[in-house]
Amino acid sequence: MHPRHRLGLLALAITLSTVGPLRAQTPEPLKVIRIGVATGGVGSNPIRHGGTTTALAYTDGAFEEEFRKDGIEIKWTFFKGAGPAVNEALVNKQLDFAWQGDLPAIVARANGVKTKLIAGSGVRTGLYLAVQPDSGIQKLEDLKGKRVAVFKGTNLHLAAVAALSARGIKERDLKLINLDLASGRTALVNKDVDAIFDYVGAFDLRDKGLAKVAWSAAADNYKFTRQTHLLVTDDFAAQHPQAVQRIVTTLVKVAHRYSNEAHRADLFERWGKTEYPEKIWREDFIGQPLRVRLSPLLDAFLVSRYKEAAKDAYALKLTRSLPEIDSWFDRRYLNVALKELKLEGYWPAYGTDGQLAH
Amino acid sequence: MSSSIGAGAVLPAPTRDTARANPAHRRAGWRPLQGLWAWPFPLAVLLLWHLSSVWGWAPEQVLPPPAQVFRTFADLAASGELWDNLHISLVRVFTGFGIGLLVGLSLGVAMGLSPTVRAYLFPLFKAFSQVPVIGWLPLLMLLVGIDEALKFLLIAKATLVPVTLNTCHGIQGVPNRFIEVARVYGFTRWQMLTRVVFPAATAPIWNGVRYGLTHAWLALVVVELLASSEGIGFLIVYGRQLFQLDVVLAAVLAVGIVGFVIDKLLSLSEAWLLRWRKPGL
Repeated sequence: MHPRHRLGLLALAITLSTVGPLRAQTPEPLKVIRIGVATGGVGSNPIRHGGTTTALAYTDGAFEEEFRKDGIEIKWTFFKGAGPAVNEALVNKQLDFAWQGDLPAIVARANGVKTKLIAGSGVRTGLYLAVQPDSGIQKLEDLKGKRVAVFKGTNLHLAAVAALSARGIKERDLKLINLDLASGRTALVNKDVDAIFDYVGAFDLRDKGLAKVAWSAAADNYKFTRQTHLLVTDDFAAQHPQAVQRIVTTLVKVAHRYSNEAHRADLFERWGKTEYPEKIWREDFIGQPLRVRLSPLLDAFLVSRYKEAAKDAYALKLTRSLPEIDSWFDRRYLNVALKELKLEGYWPAYGTDGQLAH
Repeated sequence: MSSSIGAGAVLPAPTRDTARANPAHRRAGWRPLQGLWAWPFPLAVLLLWHLSSVWGWAPEQVLPPPAQVFRTFADLAASGELWDNLHISLVRVFTGFGIGLLVGLSLGVAMGLSPTVRAYLFPLFKAFSQVPVIGWLPLLMLLVGIDEALKFLLIAKATLVPVTLNTCHGIQGVPNRFIEVARVYGFTRWQMLTRVVFPAATAPIWNGVRYGLTHAWLALVVVELLASSEGIGFLIVYGRQLFQLDVVLAAVLAVGIVGFVIDKLLSLSEAWLLRWRKPGL
């Protein structure tokens, strides 16, 4: 036999043997719960991450504590590749839960990945435009013909192009360079790009004298803020509904503890030990009650934001089909948790127009 | 690393390049049959790919069915998106390749001809060549930014190494008996170079050029994966980030086809360059 052909058979055999186990799935007693986080965080051992209720649950070890008595391990995975990388892990069945932003989740849903959104975790998250201090860019319109860094495929990407498109600026009118946040900031400092769409990292750059903040989504229109959520895979929810309930209930407890304005200092102290100093996190929350930003509710506002995001993504050709959104939200766990913890009505529910529903 | 770039491959020119006497006959004879052996393996892979999508071995989101990839490929070609990106990538590759080729040839010739230059430069060059393209990326990004210059330099580096090594070894490998005969005939240094050394070293040098271009093409994809807003490598990243793996695979297909065509063209031009060789040389 020709050596090349023997090699071929070997490759075939290896492929078949690795593909085989993927198909065999028997329900097993729960030993580990795998949670993916769509950001790299900072540091290692342990990785530090802040900004949302999921991050607080992580820092406080809330899920670990809840499941310790059953000997169930919680395995957190942080993805430097953000939402798109979480999607890959979801498809490969390496995660049970994920904290992720709107666009990547919509992209996954448009591709038939089966998940349910079970709680809001980081709604109305800011988006900022950091520009070179001497660039003269003062508003989004000034970006025409400029080189702008954006982490494509993440929810920053969608919010950025949506805000640009609302001003009649198309992607072709400027040069959008695909860079992850860390590389984008380096590029801005090196004057390789004129501006970057960033989260609170924009304040960090500004405080170091490396950038000016020229635009804020929240100050412009709530429609350009970003939404993030906790989701569960359909597979996991079908096999372990009780575990999903306990995760949601625990997350609601954490959200409740920190939504209390009396704990505002405590909250920012915790986040101040993560990616950015306390002061920077605070700035993203200026004028915004904690009950609004830390709300776990899957209210009409959130649903409408995901519907709009899905439409925008489709119109901007970021997805090739328009996924159905309504049935994506599974409120059963949240409703049980709110009832059990007597927190119905604690967080303000907003309507589709972003105004208070009651 | 050196084996993968064919350094030091100072072999007699392959027989097919010397087959000048009756190429038509050879082509009609055993070569087509030989060519057939190249097909079973790719076809088996294609079949496996197809079966895996039919039976759902790998999630469709990760491994889209071949038919869909070919459809996407056709769509990208029809919309012009593929050609636009390919054009940008080819400009990058050939600019970088041109720089790498110039520097590589001069360096290789200098080191091949002069033991002094070799003694000075070769160890440093060897060390330099051991650092992969990706390893230079962070440093170069800070030095020259993320623009075209970065891409040209990294592609030039990828080209430089095989071209230099093969040129140097090719020249060193010119059989001594050729030199001796030329000395007997009283060749001048210039005649020695143009009539003996370079012609005898053409095959290995050209080999280096081929490897250089292949490496340039491979480096392109790596370079475009980062800090890019266009090009065929960018298409791959973008497709991945938006979870359109059919776009990724269609771009991979394009990369493969272009790479294959480039290499074929170079191999044909090698045969043409070496047409002066007589069979049995």
